[in-house]
Amino acid sequence: MTMPTGILAALVLAALAITAAAPLLLLALLIRDWKRKQLW
Amino acid sequence: MNSVNSAILDASTGWAILGGFSLLWVALGWYWGRHAQQLDDYVLAGRRVGLALGTATAMATWVTSNTTMAAPQLAFQIGVWGMLGYSLGSIGLLMFAPLATRIRSLMPNGYTSGDFVRTRYGHTAWRVFLAISLFYSLGWLVSMGMAGGILIHALTGIPYHYGMTVILAICVGYTLLGGFRAVIGTDFIQALLILTGLVVIAFLAIRQVGFESIHSAVLAERPELLDLLMPAAIMFLFNNLLFGIGEVFHSNVWWSRAFSFREGVGFKAYTLAGLLWAPIPIVAGFVALAVPSLHLNVPAADMVGPMVAANLLGVTGAVLVLVMVFAALSSSLDSLLAATSILIVEDIYRRHFKPHASAEDMRRAAARIIVGLGVLTWLLCAPRLTTLAELLYFTGAFVASTIWPIAAGLFWQRTNSNAAIAGMVLGSAAGLYSYFAIGFYVAALTGAAVSMLCVLLGTWLAPREFDWAQLREDHPLHVKELP
Repeated sequence: MTMPTGILAALVLAALAITAAAPLLLLALLIRDWKRKQLW
Repeated sequence: MNSVNSAILDASTGWAILGGFSLLWVALGWYWGRHAQQLDDYVLAGRRVGLALGTATAMATWVTSNTTMAAPQLAFQIGVWGMLGYSLGSIGLLMFAPLATRIRSLMPNGYTSGDFVRTRYGHTAWRVFLAISLFYSLGWLVSMGMAGGILIHALTGIPYHYGMTVILAICVGYTLLGGFRAVIGTDFIQALLILTGLVVIAFLAIRQVGFESIHSAVLAERPELLDLLMPAAIMFLFNNLLFGIGEVFHSNVWWSRAFSFREGVGFKAYTLAGLLWAPIPIVAGFVALAVPSLHLNVPAADMVGPMVAANLLGVTGAVLVLVMVFAALSSSLDSLLAATSILIVEDIYRRHFKPHASAEDMRRAAARIIVGLGVLTWLLCAPRLTTLAELLYFTGAFVASTIWPIAAGLFWQRTNSNAAIAGMVLGSAAGLYSYFAIGFYVAALTGAAVSMLCVLLGTWLAPREFDWAQLREDHPLHVKELP
C-alpha cells in the first residue's frame, strides 16, 4: 500500500504550517510574560 | 564521495558563522548568569520560569541533532514511517505534562529525578536508575557531539574533530558561565532560529523540486519508502513512541525543567512544546525523500539531511542549515550538560561522597562536572565509532524500562519497589537482547513491555503503601543562599 502524492503533500504542508506559526506564538507568549513580569 | 570536496561552504565562511554564534552564546550566557548568586538560581533558574521561556526550552531541547539529522536519515532508510514515527517523539512531551504538575506538587523543592527514585523506591532502585540515566545522558551527549562534527564537516569541509570540539567547547563555556538561566535564555533564541530555518529550507525544497517529482522518483527507485505496510517501519513507529516517552519520563533534563517552572506553568509548557515539536521531524524528514529525484550518492546515511539541503539550496541554504543545526545542537547540549551536572552533584557527589557539602561546594562541583562532562564527551566522540541512529537507539533499551517505574511511582501509591527494580533491570536486559537479536527498532518496545509486566505483576502480588509526604520532606539541597 503506497502513500499517494496528495496525502504526502497534505501531511508535509500541514506540518510546515504549524512550524511556521510556532515562532510567532512563542514571541507573543514572550511579550505577554514580559508585560506580566513573569519571564523568569 | 569526499564531503570536503562536496562541501558547499568554504571553511572560512564556516569558521566565521561558528565564531559569530559562539561569541553570541557565550556573551548571553555571561549576561544572564551574572546575577545567579543563589544555588537555585544557578541550577534551576530561580524556579520561576514563565510559559514562553518554558515552552521554548522544552521544545528546543527536544529538537536535537537527532531530530534534524536522524529524522532525514530514518526517512531515507525506512520511508514515511520513519518521519512519522519520529514525530511520535512528541507524545513523550505531551505525556510528561501531567507528570510535571505532579512533580512540582509532590516535590516543590526537589532537584533531580534521582531524588524522586531514591525517596520513592530506596537505594537499590536509585543506583540502578542512576546507571541507566547517566548512560543515557552520555549516549545523548556523544550523539550530539558527533552530529556537530559530521554536520560541520559535511557543510564546510572543516575536519570532523575541529567542528565537534568547537560545539562542545562553546556549550560548556556558556553553560558554565550562566548556569540554567543561560540554558533557558539561549534556548528561546535557538528555538526561533531552528523553526525559521526549517520553514525556509522546506519551503524552498518544495518550490524547487515539488511534491510530484519527489513522489514519482521515490516510487520509481525506492518504492518501499512510501509503503504504508512496511513491517519494520511500523514496529519502529511504536518503538519510537516508547523510546521518546522513556527518554522524557526518566531524564533529569525534563525533571529539572519541571522543578524550574513557576507554579501552573509545567502542564501548559510541556503540552504546547509537544504540539509545536510534532511537525518538525516530518518537515525535516521529508527533505530526505528528495534523494532519488536529485540522484544523490549518499555515502553515510547520517549525512543525508545536510547533503540534500546543501544540494538543493546552494550557499544560502548551507548557511541556513549550519545556523539551524548549530542552534539545535547547542539547545540540547547545554540542557544536557546542566541537567546531568546537577544529577551527578546531588546524587553522586553529595549523596555518596560529601553529605555535608555547602551550597558553595555544590555550585563549584557543578561547574567542574560541566567541564568534565565536556571532556569525556569529546573523548568518546573522537573515534566516531557508530552512526547517530545506532547510538541513539542503543540507549532505547534502557530508558524505556524506566517508564513504568516512574509513572507508577508518581501516581500509584502502592507500587512495589522491588517490582520497580525488576522492571528496570529485566526490561533493560530484554531490550538489549532484542536490539542485538532483532534490530534497533524493537529495543524500546521490548524494554517497556517487560518492565510493565514486572511493575504491574509485582505490585498486584505484593502492594506496598507509600506516604507521599516523604517526597515533600526530602529536600536537603534546598539551600536558599550561598554563605
